[in-house]
Amino acid sequence: MDLIIGLTVNGLATGMLIFLLAAGLTLIFGLMSVLNFAHGGLFIWGAYTGVWSFQMTGSFIVGIIIAIITGLLLGLVTERLIIRPVYGNHIQQILITLGFMLVLQEFIKVVFGPDQKAVFPPEILQGSFLVGDIVLIKYRLFIIAVGLLIFIVSSFILKRTRVGLIVRAGVMNKEMVQSLGINIKLVFMLVFMVGSGMAALSGILHAVYSGVIYAEMGLEFSILAFIVVVIGGMGSFSGSLFAAILVGLAQAFMAYYVPALSLAVNMLLMTVVLIFRPQGLFGKG
Amino acid sequence: MNIRNVEKSTWIFIIIGLLLFIVPFIITGRSMQFIIIQIFIFAIFAMSYDILLGFTGIISFGHVMFFGIGAYSTAIVMDRMDATVLSFFVAILVAVVIASIVSFIVGALTLRLKSHFYAMLTLALAGLFLVAAEKWRSLTGGNDGFTFRLPEILRDSHHLYVLCLVSLVLLFFGLRRFTKSPFGRVLMAIRENEARTESLGYKVLHYKVIASVAAGVVASIAGVLYALSLRFVNTGVFATDLTIDVLLMTIIGGVGTLVGPILGAGLVELAHHWLSGLSDVHWIFERWIILYGTVYILVVIFFPLGIIGTLQSKFMNRSIKGLRNSRKTVGK
Amino acid sequence: MNSLLELNQVEAHIQKFHILQGINFGVKKGGVTVLLGRNGAGKTTTLRTIMGLNQVSKGTIRFKDEKINDLPPHKIANLGIGYVPEDQGIFGELTVGENMRVAMKKEDEETTRRMEWVLELFPDLKKFWKKPGGALSGGQKQMLAIARAYVNKNELLLIDEPSKGLAPIIVDKVTESIEQMKENTTILLVEQNFMMASKIGNQFFIIDDGKTVHEGQMEELKNDKGLMKKYLGIS
Repeated sequence: MDLIIGLTVNGLATGMLIFLLAAGLTLIFGLMSVLNFAHGGLFIWGAYTGVWSFQMTGSFIVGIIIAIITGLLLGLVTERLIIRPVYGNHIQQILITLGFMLVLQEFIKVVFGPDQKAVFPPEILQGSFLVGDIVLIKYRLFIIAVGLLIFIVSSFILKRTRVGLIVRAGVMNKEMVQSLGINIKLVFMLVFMVGSGMAALSGILHAVYSGVIYAEMGLEFSILAFIVVVIGGMGSFSGSLFAAILVGLAQAFMAYYVPALSLAVNMLLMTVVLIFRPQGLFGKG
Repeated sequence: MNIRNVEKSTWIFIIIGLLLFIVPFIITGRSMQFIIIQIFIFAIFAMSYDILLGFTGIISFGHVMFFGIGAYSTAIVMDRMDATVLSFFVAILVAVVIASIVSFIVGALTLRLKSHFYAMLTLALAGLFLVAAEKWRSLTGGNDGFTFRLPEILRDSHHLYVLCLVSLVLLFFGLRRFTKSPFGRVLMAIRENEARTESLGYKVLHYKVIASVAAGVVASIAGVLYALSLRFVNTGVFATDLTIDVLLMTIIGGVGTLVGPILGAGLVELAHHWLSGLSDVHWIFERWIILYGTVYILVVIFFPLGIIGTLQSKFMNRSIKGLRNSRKTVGK
Repeated sequence: MNSLLELNQVEAHIQKFHILQGINFGVKKGGVTVLLGRNGAGKTTTLRTIMGLNQVSKGTIRFKDEKINDLPPHKIANLGIGYVPEDQGIFGELTVGENMRVAMKKEDEETTRRMEWVLELFPDLKKFWKKPGGALSGGQKQMLAIARAYVNKNELLLIDEPSKGLAPIIVDKVTESIEQMKENTTILLVEQNFMMASKIGNQFFIIDDGKTVHEGQMEELKNDKGLMKKYLGIS
């Protein structure tokens, strides 16, 4: 029993990290039809800058804030320099964002060196709670809490504020949003920045979670986010939460019971979804 | 075929091909010969990518998986069997068969999806192959890879040179025929306007799957030659960096031209050689991917037709729509 | 120059097709101006081009004597032009209320007053306030689209075929509402339904093959059978 709970907590924590990465991808895709292959690059920059400032200052909060700021700024740069020149041309967008991904990844090695780095959680989040016989690792609970908080806040913004309504309206009909006097480019930029900030947050949280960071981690982890976006349905925010948790749980249980198949199980999940419901579980057909 | 009907350009290509056979007598330095061999191999790989991107308008980020399949098939077969010419042919056969099965399954499952999905899925699949190569140690030797022996005849670098050049020339003319055939015309129609081609009664999916199988097989042959040239294989043959390399070659040279990717392969490989030579001067040159990536991004934005494509559009008024489709007026 | 909106030799392309080949007209402040013409003549493209959703390839468009043809759509809208597209452009997953909220640029007294007025005009909107826009009937969608364009203090409304696909009784309702709006707003209307157009229109322009070919007062057109037959196919 405690094993199952332990694995579930693992799965939920991984799921939340994937969700933070996938949420930005799916929103950006829904609004701008841009599939950002450089998203993993923003994740990895969040991880490195966050860890660096965490280790410099000793404050995890500062690390998280720096990571998010890095994500927002890099998102701004990416949108202006990489995405904007090729709006509306899918082939160019796909080609260009993958190229940018690799540039971001290599720059990590230039700035922070090519070697792996070890990371430890802040003291307050080290160790675990004991509830009865069940060991609950603090940092994992922390990740789950942060993920849920971000989901609730973003859902509130999307559902209740005018900005959120504009974003959702933009997903449905961009021309009409413009015709109502709204600068859609500004909305694009904003969403892109927020999505990038979430990716960077995912990066720093994941860095501490896995205990080690290396430059290729971004592309590897973003593959999970792509899988989630496909399963949940492109452009669906709650779909990405559901699918992320599904993938996280599948990953956690497989990693324990059949380690060799832990990546394959997600690919399999995605393949099944693509065959029977190509628009994703929550996508619109 | 009547000799008068042969196009002028074909003669030019044949002459260039023949001239290349003389090169190893002029450039006798082993390392330079090795670089030229690498250029031939990547030219084949890049041409196979051009079949997808340039002629059919499909973006795959996992094309490297077929290259890797070719390389591992060769290495494993040569390692397990005797180092004879026969096992070399077995290796090619194994590579081609596995590559065609995998590319058929991948294509049939995913090519009906939109370009985003396809690019993403192929990226993920290539990742899966990379992980498999790392984990299946008994077969692949894991991360470190393994070396293997070549048959006597291929140990001579001049012979290897000829083998690679002959493969390149044959595949080039073969693919040229393929793209100029009625089948190739349909592929280009798909690239220009998929919906219209479908409404004309063509089974677009069938054509795309066949194109991706052809591209997969050719890429696996490049992988076979690659493993031969190194006498060694490791998980690097499944790395996404290689996909980017081949994308860069295809795009710099000019998509949809077949000659472009060959030219691109030459430029990129020479630049790679030259830049890594500079890494003694300054460590930044070890990070040459940054430069590649930047050049690649700039080419995609400002120069989407590549070298050959730009020349052709200047002199022949030809345009490739896939890469510079009319932009929508979303928030100008 | 006393026109509110003025198109001068406007040409536009959609991809490689030369859709508008010389549109000339002026919309005076007040009243309803109707664009008439056969299907495919270029009426919808004209409205989209005014809104900046299509690029102008030649000619000029002026609104209140300011050249607007190089502005992006949102700036054109913010100059005071409201747009009701042919497909109504309802945000299907947003409720009626949320559709209105996206449209409302301000929440000042003026906007609130307009909102109340328009809800009185279309009580259905109030009734289905929390219903998703996609679940409305065709007529209700049309009303929502008009309300959304009206709620901001726009000086000019571009309305594209409001009667399309609606039952006659709903058409009457929409006609009536436009008549009420024209009291304080200028309206440029594209309409195939000649009954409706002749009832509310003041001046008209006929577009044929991407060019403006005729103009006049609605009263004259009603009596000119030859003209109607030639360009509108009405006999």
